[in-house]
Amino acid sequence: MDIVACYKWVLDEQDIKIVPGSLLLDTSRAKGKISDYDKNVIEEAVLQAEKDDTVTVTALTFGNAKAKQSLKDALSRGPVKGYWVNDAAADIADGFVTANVLTAALKKIGAYDLILFGEGSSDAYGQQVGPRVAALLGIPVVTFVTKLEISEGKVMAARKIGDCTEDVTVNLPAVITLLPEVCKPRIPGLKQVLGASKKPVQEFKLADLDLVAENTLPKNKIKSIQGYAMDRKNEIYTDGTVDEKVNTLIASLTKEGLL
Amino acid sequence: MDFQLTEEQTLLQQSAREFAATYCEPIAAEIDKTGRYPAETIEQLAKHDFMGMPYPEEYGGAGADYLSYTLAVEEISKVCASTGIIYSAHCSLGLWPIYKWGSEDLKKKYLVPLCKGEKLGAFALTEPGAGTDAASGTCTAILMNNEYVLNGTKCFITNGGLADVYIIFALTDPSKGIKGLSAFVVEKGLVGFEIGKHEDKMGIRGSQTTELIFKDCHVAKENLIGEEGKGFKYAMQTLDGGRVGVAAQAIGIAQGALDAAVKFAKERVQFGKPIATKQAIQWMLADMETQIQAARLLVYNAAAAKDRGESFSKEAAMAKLFAAETADYVCTKAIQVHGGYGYIKDFKVERCYRDAKICSLYEGTSEVQRMVISGALLR
Repeated sequence: MDIVACYKWVLDEQDIKIVPGSLLLDTSRAKGKISDYDKNVIEEAVLQAEKDDTVTVTALTFGNAKAKQSLKDALSRGPVKGYWVNDAAADIADGFVTANVLTAALKKIGAYDLILFGEGSSDAYGQQVGPRVAALLGIPVVTFVTKLEISEGKVMAARKIGDCTEDVTVNLPAVITLLPEVCKPRIPGLKQVLGASKKPVQEFKLADLDLVAENTLPKNKIKSIQGYAMDRKNEIYTDGTVDEKVNTLIASLTKEGLL
Repeated sequence: MDFQLTEEQTLLQQSAREFAATYCEPIAAEIDKTGRYPAETIEQLAKHDFMGMPYPEEYGGAGADYLSYTLAVEEISKVCASTGIIYSAHCSLGLWPIYKWGSEDLKKKYLVPLCKGEKLGAFALTEPGAGTDAASGTCTAILMNNEYVLNGTKCFITNGGLADVYIIFALTDPSKGIKGLSAFVVEKGLVGFEIGKHEDKMGIRGSQTTELIFKDCHVAKENLIGEEGKGFKYAMQTLDGGRVGVAAQAIGIAQGALDAAVKFAKERVQFGKPIATKQAIQWMLADMETQIQAARLLVYNAAAAKDRGESFSKEAAMAKLFAAETADYVCTKAIQVHGGYGYIKDFKVERCYRDAKICSLYEGTSEVQRMVISGALLR
C-alpha cells in the first residue's frame, strides 16, 4: 500500500518582517521551511508505515528551485522516496494550479492508495489543494481529520467539525486532509538525517507532466499583500484610586465604541 | 576557501537546534537552580543518535564528522551549558581513547553501548595535586596476577557517579614518571571504586562533578587501553578533541547570551525609546557579535583540521583559549546591556555568566592553552 505525503515549502513566518512605516512585507531575509502542518502529515504517514510494513511512504512537493532544500529534511522524517515538481511556476501558483500540477504528478507516479495533505499551508491556508486533487482524480476526500486508521482497503477517519466529531469510512484510494492534532511530528534522529541523502529523489519539470497550458495559469490574482500591525495607544492611567482608574478605562473603551 | 557549511552539516545543525529547543531549553533554568542531572534529556540525546555522533556506524555511532558534532555541542550549549558539557565530556573524552587506541574487544564491549547512549562515559586525569601539572599524578595501577590494582583519587570528574564507563589514567610504573602513565577502562560498581565528594559549583550546575576514589580496585588486564606507558600521550591527544568541544560550548554560551541581550535591547524602553536605539548599547552588541564570529571561525577551523586528520593541537588550544575568553567577555557585556535585570536569576544572562567561567578553566586553563600554543611556536 502506498501513502503519498504532500507538503509545501513555505517561507518561515518568523523571518518575515513588516517594513517600518508601511504595511509592506520584507521577505528578503526569510528562510524556507516545510509548512508546519505538513510535518504532521509526513509524521502521520510514517506512523502508519510503522504499524504495517506493507505500507510505503513517499513525499511529494511542488516548489521552485529553493524547495530542493526541503527534500532531505522531508526524507529524514521517514519517507523512502521524494518527488519534487521543480518549477518557478510554483511562486505564483494558487490552489487551482497546485492541484493540477500535483494531480498530474500523482498520475505520473502511479502508485497511490492514500494521499495525505495538511488542512492548509502555513502561508496562505487556502484549504484548496487536497479536495481539488481528489476531485481531479475522481476519488473520495475526507477533510478536517484528526485520527485515521487503515484496514482492508478502507480508511476510517475522525473529522473534527465545529464542536462535534464525525466518523467516516471511505474506500481507498482516497485523499485525506489532516488537522495538526492528528500527531506530533518527531525530531528526526541524526542517523535519519544522514541517511536522507542516500534516499532517491525524482524530479519533474512542469513540461514532463502533460499539463495543458491553461491549467498552469492561476485563477487568483494577488493584488497586494500587507502586514497586519496592531497599533497600541499606550495609555496608562496613573491618577486616582483603583475604582477611578477602572471607571476611566471603561469610559475610554466606551468612547472608542469597543464596549 | 569556502566558509559555508555543507548541506549535511546545516541539516545536522538544524536538528540539534530543534532538539535543544524541545528538550534542553525548557528545563535549563530548573536544572541550574536545583543541580539536578537531566537524565531524561540524556535519554533523548541517545534516542536521537547524538551520543555517538562523530563515531562510525559500525560501533553504533551516527557517522557524522567532528565539525557537525561541534555544531551540536554549540547548539545545545546555546540553551543549556550543563547539558552541553555532560554531552561533550561523554562524547569527546569518554569515547575517544577507546575508539582511537582501544582493542577491538574493548570497542565491542564499551564503545558500542557508549555510542548508542546505553551507557554514559567519563574521563579522569585530574587529581587533587595534579591539575595543570597533569604529569604529577600519583594514582597507581600495579599489575598483579593478571589484573591491575588501582589506588588513588581523581577529582573534578564531569559525569562522576553517573557515568557507567570511566577512562582512568594511572601510573603502571611510578618510577618512570609520565612515561609510566597508562589508560584504563573502568566500569562503575567495581569493588574498591567509590564516588567521593560531589562538588557544589558556580555554574554548569546540572552536570555532576565528583571525586573518584580507588582503593585496591582490581581491573581486568584487558581493560588497559593501547600500551602501557602511553597514557600521557593518549590523554593529551584526547584533550585536543575535548578542547574543541569546550570551545564549541563556549561559543554556544556566548551566542545564547548575545541573543538574549539583543532581544532585551529591543524590548527595554528608556528615555522613551528601546535601548537598542542607543549607540552605547549598539557598540556593545557589535563588539560581542564580532568576538563570537572570530571565535567561531577558530573553533570550526580546529574541528575541520581534526576531520582532515591533520595535527590540530595548536588549533584546538587557540580555539578554546579565544572562545572561552570570548564567552566571559560576551556574558559580562550581555549583563551590562540588561542593567540591573541581568543580575537577577529570572534572566538567562545571569546563568550564562556563571556557566561561561568554567570554559577557561577545565580541559586546561587558558594558561595551559597558551603553553600549548607557545610550545608549538617555539618548537
